[in-house]
Amino acid sequence: MLLTPRALVAVAVSIIVLAGVNAMPSSADDATPDVAAATFTGSGEAGTGSASFRIGYYDNDDKGDGNPFLDEALTVIEPVVIVDYNVTDRLGVYSKFSYDDVTSASIERLSNFSEQSGASSDFYIGLDLGARYELSENRRVGGFVGGSVEYDYTSIGFGGDFAQDLAEKNATVKVSANVYFDSVDVIQFNGEEDGSANRRSYSATVSWYQIIDKRTHAETGATIGVQTGFLETAYNAVVIEDPADAPNPNLDNRARGTEVTEELPGTRVRGSVFGRARYSLLRNTALEGGGRLYADDWGIRSLTLEPVVRHWPLDSLGGHLGYRYYVQSAADDHDDHFTTSKSKRTQDSDLAAFDAHGIHGGISWMPWPSLEFNFDAGYTFREDGLDQLMLSAGARASFDARPLKRLLWPD
Amino acid sequence: MALVLAALFLLGTSGCKNVEFYQKQRLNDPAMKFDDDPAQTHFVQKTFYSREGSAGGIGTGAGGGCGCY
Repeated sequence: MLLTPRALVAVAVSIIVLAGVNAMPSSADDATPDVAAATFTGSGEAGTGSASFRIGYYDNDDKGDGNPFLDEALTVIEPVVIVDYNVTDRLGVYSKFSYDDVTSASIERLSNFSEQSGASSDFYIGLDLGARYELSENRRVGGFVGGSVEYDYTSIGFGGDFAQDLAEKNATVKVSANVYFDSVDVIQFNGEEDGSANRRSYSATVSWYQIIDKRTHAETGATIGVQTGFLETAYNAVVIEDPADAPNPNLDNRARGTEVTEELPGTRVRGSVFGRARYSLLRNTALEGGGRLYADDWGIRSLTLEPVVRHWPLDSLGGHLGYRYYVQSAADDHDDHFTTSKSKRTQDSDLAAFDAHGIHGGISWMPWPSLEFNFDAGYTFREDGLDQLMLSAGARASFDARPLKRLLWPD
Repeated sequence: MALVLAALFLLGTSGCKNVEFYQKQRLNDPAMKFDDDPAQTHFVQKTFYSREGSAGGIGTGAGGGCGCY
């Protein structure tokens, strides 16, 4: 039913070809509202900017399915701060800081091994610094550098993008590419250290924004990604079951078996196509349909469908309500039970076959045009019982630093 | 499947007519704007895609930051 990586590449190429077709010259219209720029952020007036703060709460339940040998319940609290500032009318800079605090049953279990305590990401700190520059009225470039650290993991990355408005800003095509270099301290499920290992991730995305008519606009795109190096999760174990073994006290269900390390291929090629279209049903009421198809060479195929309805009854108050369906097939090397040790093996329940139904909604309130508060909530029912609760609340404020700038540096 | 998707996309874009600036009022309604809160997008993508095998989210790159809870 789902796409192969080769087919996804074909779709990506089709989109690029279509981008060329739609890039035909059109008459200029300087007064066109910058709807496209709302999707692909450009620059703003010098001295202005915005600041966003959000705190998210994520709770992952475990009702006994998923990996039969582990309690996979966990809780994550994550504050995120994003500051965006327009240095000049054409040059903008931004920073994104995030911190994760993670508590999980698997961490408690791993705490039996002092070397491993915390190794399953009981904290995460990430910082991205980026800039964008408006080359001309219809062309923009951007770039970022970023890094993140965890107990047993460091990552640095950088990327860039180029966006071109077309057809009187009725369309925008954007290409972007990212590279990440990761280093993992390989601390295994039993606390044994096995040195460090590297992972490299490369990805490229082409996306297309299109105004379809007076009431409808859409965006679509494709991403190709390649990863090489250590792609296992260091602390993951695979249980080789043997009825002759004694009950294993380290396993959640005291199963009779011996734990061995997870082993996965050293490369992974991923491809996805995605899109969403939004239709203005009534004044301030919109319907959106979105979806994504994904395939990789580990054998995982997935489909995501997400319809959303959005309504703003007042200029200062709005909300949305959505549904999300997700289904994926299992990785070739995944199995719930092993009786022999295969060269490639995983029991990671996130690499298993499952489907999920999620509902989500949110409210936004803008007491002033420059200040917005919002609250979002979602709950996902997973077929394997690993249900997920997501709550987040945040504020986003626009600011104008020009008076301060004039005070500090008068002409 | 890929050809079907490409054909649908071609069909969709070929039906597009240039919309003049004075015709874009509905597209500028708050409910129609695609400018999602970047902090919310970060949180949602990270949590969903750290628990799903098809990590490497909508419009984002694969890898970078473990996220493997």
